[in-house]
Amino acid sequence: MSLSLALRLALRDWRAGELRLLLAALLLAVGAVTAVSLFVDRLQRALVAESAALLGADRVIDASRPVPQRFRDLAADRGLVLADVIRFPSMASSEATGRSQLASVKAVTPGYPLRGTLRVAGEPFTRGRRTDGLPAPGEVWLDSRLFPALDVKVGDTVSVGYADFTVTAVLASEPDRGGGFMGFAPRLLMRAEDIAATRVIQPGSRIRYRLLLAGGGDALRSLHDAIRDELAPGYRWRDVRAANARIDSALERAESFLLLGGLLTVLLAGVAVALSARRYARRHYDHVAVLKTLGATPAEVQWGYTLVLLIIGVAGALAGLVLGAVAHFGIIAALRGFLPMSLPPPGAQPVWVGLLTGFICVLAFGLPPLLRLRGVSPMRVIRRDLAPATASAWTYGCAAAGGLGLLVWYSGDATLTGWALAGAAVTVSVFAGLALILLRGGRALGMQAGSVWRLALAGLHRRHRENVGQIVVFGVAVMLLLIMVLVRTALVDEWQSRIPVRAPNQFVMNVAPAEVGPVETLLKARTGYDGRMFPMIRGRITEVNGIGAAQWQRQRRQRAEETDDERDGPGGRGRPGILRERNLTFLADLPDHNVVVDGDWWAAGAAPSASLEEEYAAALGLALGDSLTFDVGGLPFTAKVTNTRRVAWDSLQPNFFIILSPGALDGQPATYMTSFHLPSERKAFLNELLSRHPTVSVIDVDQIITHLRRIITHVAQAVELVLALVLCAGLLVLIASIQSSRDQRLKELALLRALGGTRRLITGALVAEFAALGAFAGVVAVIGAEITTFTLNRFVFELPASLHPQIWLAGPLFGILMVSAVGYLGTRRLVRTPPATALREL
Amino acid sequence: MSGCILRARAVVKRVPTSEGDLTILDGIDLAVDTGAQVAVVGESGSGKTTLLSILAGLDLPTGGDVWLDGEEITALDEEQRARVRARSVGFVFQSFQLIDSLTALENVMLPLELHGRRQAREDALGFMERVGLSARTTHYPLQLSGGEQQRVAIARAFASGPKVLFADEPTGNLDTATGGKIADLLFELNREAGTTLMLVTHDAALARRCAEVIALDAGRMLAPREAAP
Repeated sequence: MSLSLALRLALRDWRAGELRLLLAALLLAVGAVTAVSLFVDRLQRALVAESAALLGADRVIDASRPVPQRFRDLAADRGLVLADVIRFPSMASSEATGRSQLASVKAVTPGYPLRGTLRVAGEPFTRGRRTDGLPAPGEVWLDSRLFPALDVKVGDTVSVGYADFTVTAVLASEPDRGGGFMGFAPRLLMRAEDIAATRVIQPGSRIRYRLLLAGGGDALRSLHDAIRDELAPGYRWRDVRAANARIDSALERAESFLLLGGLLTVLLAGVAVALSARRYARRHYDHVAVLKTLGATPAEVQWGYTLVLLIIGVAGALAGLVLGAVAHFGIIAALRGFLPMSLPPPGAQPVWVGLLTGFICVLAFGLPPLLRLRGVSPMRVIRRDLAPATASAWTYGCAAAGGLGLLVWYSGDATLTGWALAGAAVTVSVFAGLALILLRGGRALGMQAGSVWRLALAGLHRRHRENVGQIVVFGVAVMLLLIMVLVRTALVDEWQSRIPVRAPNQFVMNVAPAEVGPVETLLKARTGYDGRMFPMIRGRITEVNGIGAAQWQRQRRQRAEETDDERDGPGGRGRPGILRERNLTFLADLPDHNVVVDGDWWAAGAAPSASLEEEYAAALGLALGDSLTFDVGGLPFTAKVTNTRRVAWDSLQPNFFIILSPGALDGQPATYMTSFHLPSERKAFLNELLSRHPTVSVIDVDQIITHLRRIITHVAQAVELVLALVLCAGLLVLIASIQSSRDQRLKELALLRALGGTRRLITGALVAEFAALGAFAGVVAVIGAEITTFTLNRFVFELPASLHPQIWLAGPLFGILMVSAVGYLGTRRLVRTPPATALREL
Repeated sequence: MSGCILRARAVVKRVPTSEGDLTILDGIDLAVDTGAQVAVVGESGSGKTTLLSILAGLDLPTGGDVWLDGEEITALDEEQRARVRARSVGFVFQSFQLIDSLTALENVMLPLELHGRRQAREDALGFMERVGLSARTTHYPLQLSGGEQQRVAIARAFASGPKVLFADEPTGNLDTATGGKIADLLFELNREAGTTLMLVTHDAALARRCAEVIALDAGRMLAPREAAP
């Protein structure tokens, strides 16, 4: 069969409405995938850009010595933009007031920050405005906290080392401030070329050098590859992910979720393509039998219809691309208010994803039913009951492999795909069994029911094979929707619960015992503070079970070849070294956000005891019953480890690796710390707090929290959007499935009408039949959704798994509503067709 | 025009059933000369339609062989039989077998298009005119009466210029008057084209219009004298 004949056949089929459903399914598959891919691609680029702001760059090379010129040259060769940041602690002082304060000096080169913006203000503790500038040489910008501490104002002079600087602005915020407690001291921002004049950098000074890099992903990767071997151990390559563990996990899960959504859309659209191709094939059995009597050979039939399908594939894929592009602009327009300032343009990848999806959908899902046409016997013109043999196993094998390949390729994640498919396979087989049982039960019930229901349930039973298939298809569609809703809810709740609305955004440290009362009173009066003051003493472990700590660590390392790599991530977490000085606290009660995982919390008056954070204990090889000797202010004391705790590090509360029982540190010079929430517009309160209690330190993490919350909001919106797309695909499957039984229904309805069934009775029976199908599908969907969500939450998203009684009724109800609505709309015309016309069509 | 265009030797057709094999045709021998008009008659279930499908190469016998237009079609596979059908055979069926999604004209064009004929449309229009339906070319089968549908089917059957035309109860679904007109048309076109006609019918009047009559009873051919009415 020639291409032109295939084209004519396709055109005629299109005109006769035979191809509309198939084309619609393809259009949706390609459109949905393209829209999701385009949107996700651009959103991901935007999210990465936004996260990059937390780093001040796309990548950072971090070191305790200057970054070699070679790295800079290689970076410049690749067209990357560079900026330097040098950080060191130094005393800042004011000659006029005679005050001085330890500051965290940050000296930068022009161009800083490469990502994100600085904000400056004229008054301390105000929000300030964005600026693209930097302090000029000879000028500095100071953190709000330095103003009360040094008792200076904008325009005054401060000195760092041997150099004097004019304070020209308040540094309200900097993108790469970081959440680590390393940035304890208030910031002083200056130009890198002024460092020499201060003469503060001496051999042995504690200095961090950072080379900020910005540019295209390929250039960055190429640079990383080029210097990878030279990085360790002196230089660290940091990307967005390393910059903040919390964003990391949120982004990763969001990506997983978006992919899962896209995956399900492809899967559902594929089912819709398969169903409509099957219907198309069935409606062409007679057509092909006639063609064969007219002399068309099986090979001609096969190639002819493959060509027709390919023509549809090309048309569907191209139209789908346009639809996807339009849909994604629509989405962006709808979300404009929420999306980051401007989305970067998309890459070419989403277009290829869309096109390939279309073709693989056509070949894997659409072709197998059409290949059956080859086997249609020409004898069918005489005996209509002759159906073609089912397609061979390899046809379906190829289809399955194609489908699987598409899913793996699309998700780029074999594990996720594997889980989703394993869930689907188990579900489909369980569904089929369940559907049969429900249909049998339904029939028994129907015998006692009124005529509408009797007719409906008899109808269900008569076509029980097709109906098992439909229940499975509807069930899977409803199940996928339920899964998306459940997983989305779990994800968004979990994200939002990480950062409650009134999450503490200010940490107060260095509160002297005598100041605890007044500080608490002040906080309570001005901020509704209801937190807790934690005593804090610096101390280090000197012996474990009588063995010197250094030797204990050596033994551990020899065994585990661990490295003492201090990470200054949020909360100062990282692989801990036993020798390091730690903040110790002593408490009678277990603090909130802490759970004892092993051993027991101490009772009042217990012998000196220690409670360790579980990962910390595991990293140091410490266990219950070990006896630890501490050195606090030169005085040794010993405590026994009686329990280990799991700590919610992202609770934004003061958290401790080591908690001691009360009494253990009696008589030691403790200071206190706490955290509280301060609305952004009331930052001026910090000025009052610091003026009244000049020795107290305040660390402001508001900016980081705001940033995190913004990212999470965007991600949640993207997730909801994907949910809507999955819903569309699910609806299409419903329509395709109902259409596929349309011809048989038409025949039955015509007979019923001819035998005197009223339109009302028949409509009632139809709706009742679809409602029953929907209810059955809902029941199986709920069961499947519970199992799959449990698996996904447990193994993919690592969220707590639980049952969801709220869907037990909602699922079947949703099934009833959806299936009877779509079913009624799809078959309404059949009921209205006069029986004579309907009978003639048979 | 002479010579044998269709020959069957010891054709047997059995189909398996739950109660053992059912013999539908039992040792059929026949030879049809080029240009002949043959009616196959017999009661329902006598095997007429099965014989026709085997002779036309739509179905294969369980035993025996069939030669059609110089080819032993019982030795060919489906692919090869399709080529023989394309070259030599036309069909008219009781239930018309038009394709619902195509217009009347497109139905007639179909065999011409399958043959790759460039003038498919013009030729088909000629045949539509010949069967008296030039005003209904754009109508779909469901918009046509039974008689009109059968006219379209006849136009389609002759469009590809077959050597043998197989007609299975061509008037079976039509009233007497319409059936008569259809039969007239069929014989007229057949005469003009010099096609061999193999007609299955239980309409005695229609059978009488054929020069030869083959009578079947329970799968066996009756001798010509037994078949005479």
